[in-house]
Amino acid sequence: MNSIRALALIAALFSGLLQAAELKVAVLVQDPAQISMQGKLIPSSTPGADLVAVTDELAREICRRIHAHCAFYYVRLAEILPGVEAGRFDLGFGNFLRAPEREKRVAFSDALFRSSSRLIGTPANVRAYTTKLAQPVNLANLRGARVAALDGSRQQAYLDRNASERALTVVATSTTAEALDLLRNDSADFALLPIRTGYALISRDKAQRFVFVGPAVTAHGLGDTAHIVLEKQNNALRRAANKAIAEIKADGTFQRIMYRHFPVFLD
Amino acid sequence: MTTEDDRHRPSAGKAFVVLASVFALLFGAVVTLLAFDQYRVLAAATRLQHETVPEIIRYQRLARNLDQLNHEGERFFSSHSAEERQQALFLVMLVASHPSILEHPQAAAMARDTENYLGEINQLAARDPSALRARYPEWQRISQRMHLLVDDISVEGANLATADLDDMAGTMRTARFKLLGALALVGGFILLLIALLRQHLIRPLQRIDHALSSLDVEQPAPQFPDASLAEIHAVEEATGRLHKAMISNEAARRELELLANRDGLTGLINRRHFMVGAEAEIRRAQRYGRPIAVALGDLDSFKRLNDTHGHGAGDVVLRTFAGLLTDSVRQSDLVCRYGGEEFAFLFPESSVEQAHILVERFRQRFAEHDIRLPDGVLVRVTLSIGLADASHCPLEIALQRADYALYEAKRLGRNRIVVAAEAD
Repeated sequence: MNSIRALALIAALFSGLLQAAELKVAVLVQDPAQISMQGKLIPSSTPGADLVAVTDELAREICRRIHAHCAFYYVRLAEILPGVEAGRFDLGFGNFLRAPEREKRVAFSDALFRSSSRLIGTPANVRAYTTKLAQPVNLANLRGARVAALDGSRQQAYLDRNASERALTVVATSTTAEALDLLRNDSADFALLPIRTGYALISRDKAQRFVFVGPAVTAHGLGDTAHIVLEKQNNALRRAANKAIAEIKADGTFQRIMYRHFPVFLD
Repeated sequence: MTTEDDRHRPSAGKAFVVLASVFALLFGAVVTLLAFDQYRVLAAATRLQHETVPEIIRYQRLARNLDQLNHEGERFFSSHSAEERQQALFLVMLVASHPSILEHPQAAAMARDTENYLGEINQLAARDPSALRARYPEWQRISQRMHLLVDDISVEGANLATADLDDMAGTMRTARFKLLGALALVGGFILLLIALLRQHLIRPLQRIDHALSSLDVEQPAPQFPDASLAEIHAVEEATGRLHKAMISNEAARRELELLANRDGLTGLINRRHFMVGAEAEIRRAQRYGRPIAVALGDLDSFKRLNDTHGHGAGDVVLRTFAGLLTDSVRQSDLVCRYGGEEFAFLFPESSVEQAHILVERFRQRFAEHDIRLPDGVLVRVTLSIGLADASHCPLEIALQRADYALYEAKRLGRNRIVVAAEAD
């Protein structure tokens, strides 16, 4: 009898330990108004609310699968990676593309989905630059333009690398919604954004002021698989997160979350 | 002793080592080949699992994404408003921007053309909505091409597995033949081993067992065919030596028995051997109710002969007496030197009367026989005999009665036979 009690006590202790796992999870926002708000409380009218909702649901599902209590923080992209690196966050949900300099700082989970990047602009700017360049505008031939990109993103890194050679003015924004605001008020000619983000923003623009410009790009680090970032040393958490990702993909949970907020599921 | 021939004869241990080595080499070679096949199958399975299947899935996803693109193009044409068309066009652009489509040249070109075509139609429709209906057949052709591409990609993806599966199936077929070969090899080796064991070990051992079981000094030495194994040959040789030793031992035993049962001077059986034989004969005669008689004889005046001519003369007389006695009695009769110059007789299958005739004939013959002594003197010696029936009494009693009769013969003047009176 005593041994059964002891076993029950040990089981309860372990169960308690698992339950006691507290994780700080950073979730990428698309608009400054979403910062520091709780996921379900983010107004659907705010730009990119669907994207935040997808990310939030994914993060919560993974937390549930790894049996952790998670505290969610809604932050800008530029805060996530340094935050994870410094240990302020355990998991960073920002659809991060892999890059050598990022690999040195944080660990990456298995892939969530695949992504590419694409220029967004107004039809007026497209016409203007088509005339100016004497050919249809695309990312490869764009010169002398002001291009907005999310601060800390791979798109910004690409533009920075090519800025001087192609006389580009890189305008860094803290959120993607701000990038479109720059286009609206003519503070930027184009914005270079992840395709999914770009779609979510311009398809919800009632005035339909924006179009995709040129073909989508995956080269130069602008496209590939998107991941969660984690602390580099936390292998146990990485393994648990990878297991959870595999599970939600295998049982259809991942697809259902995507379909709740997007009309198509692209794998 | 090891001969030159033996040195060239293989030992069982060496033969076993050679056979086991050959088998181990052959079996090891087949197992190695099988292990190599297994490695190839595992490698193909790993390649299938980690490379081919993900690649097939990638193709299937691409086909599904192209289907999605087609579907959104269809939705573009079935839209009821400019806003719906624009939303459909955004979705076409989203799908066309997916990396799975971008990295496949044909799919990327198809997606780009679709996107451009629908963008152009969208602009035309904004000015003239009837353009949608006019351009729909063209879209159907594009859609048809896209369907074909989806089919091609699906088949292309499925075909990726074919090479790996063919490789695995081929390797498994080869492995099956090798496995059958290995089984045949093991079976053949076991049969060969059984045949060799039977030929060179079991049958020679059976022959040796039979030879040892029937080994007898009366039988000739066992003969064996030429053995191929040194150990078997050695045992066969030892069996031959054992037979020789048995014959030698038997000869020695018989010589010892002779020495133990005979009187050294006369060559007649000694008293102990006589008593054993006589007891057996009397028991037999009494059991079957047959007549049997005993007698005790004593050379007359033998002491005086010794005293006159010396002990050498006595010995000559005793040997002469024994020689005549041996020639005179039947083969079934027992005669021994009972002690000194006294002799005992047993006459199986003879009544006292029949025995009396026999001893009387001998007494006369001996009494008339000239004996040349060592000093050249010729002498004649007589014999007194006491005879008794032994058909109804023990040997000791019969001898005792014969002894009384002998005493009576001496008392009556020697050189005569006295028959003991019938027992009461």
